[in-house]
Amino acid sequence: MKNDIRRRREASELSQADLAEAVGVTRQTINAIERDRYDPSIELAFKLALFFDCHIEEIFDPEVELGFDDD
Amino acid sequence: MIPDVPPESRLERMRFYRYLLYGCAVLGAAGFIVAETLGFPLVGVGVYWSGLLGMVAVKFGTSVGLFDERDRALERRASNVTLYLAGGLLIVAAPAVFALEETGRYEAPPVLSGALFGFSALFLLYGAVFLVLKYRP
Repeated sequence: MKNDIRRRREASELSQADLAEAVGVTRQTINAIERDRYDPSIELAFKLALFFDCHIEEIFDPEVELGFDDD
Repeated sequence: MIPDVPPESRLERMRFYRYLLYGCAVLGAAGFIVAETLGFPLVGVGVYWSGLLGMVAVKFGTSVGLFDERDRALERRASNVTLYLAGGLLIVAAPAVFALEETGRYEAPPVLSGALFGFSALFLLYGAVFLVLKYRP
C-alpha cells in the first residue's frame, strides 16, 4: 500500500528507529512499510495516524476498488 | 520473573531479550549435540529441555514484546508457503507411489512411506485446527 510515511518522518526529523519506538514496532517494520513491502495492521495504521496527527487516509493510499479480490 | 535490564529503549530491550531467547535455543541444541557425541544422550536431552525452558522463561518472563506484527505476519506467510509446498508434494507423490506399489514394480522404502504418512497426518491436523478456528464460538 502506498504511503508517505518516509516524507512525514523526515519532515519531523525522526529516524526509523525513533518512529518505531514511538509506535511500538521494530525499525525493520517501519522500513518495510516505507518501501511498500508490508501493509500495517489497522491498529498500527491508527497509531501512525495518531503520531502524525492526521487521518489514516492522508497517510495511506490503498488503491482499492469495491468488489472481491481475484486471488 | 526475569529481571529487566536497564531500559535504554524498548527496541534495545526487545533486541536483548530476543538474543537471550535465541541464545537459549542455540545452547540447548549445541549442548544436546555435544552430549550425544560424548556418549551422554540423557544428559543431552536434559540440556536440550533446559534450553527450551529457558526460551519459555524469556518469552513469558518479561513484559517486553519480543516480536512485532510484521514478525508474526512473516511467520504466518512462511507457514502458508511450507504447507503449500508440503501439500503439493503429497498430492503429486502419494498417489503415484501407491499406484506403483500396486503394480508390484516398485516398493517404497520405509522412509518414503513414513514421510507420506507424516505429511498426511500433518494435513489432518491442519484440517482439524482450521475447522476449530473457523467454527469456534
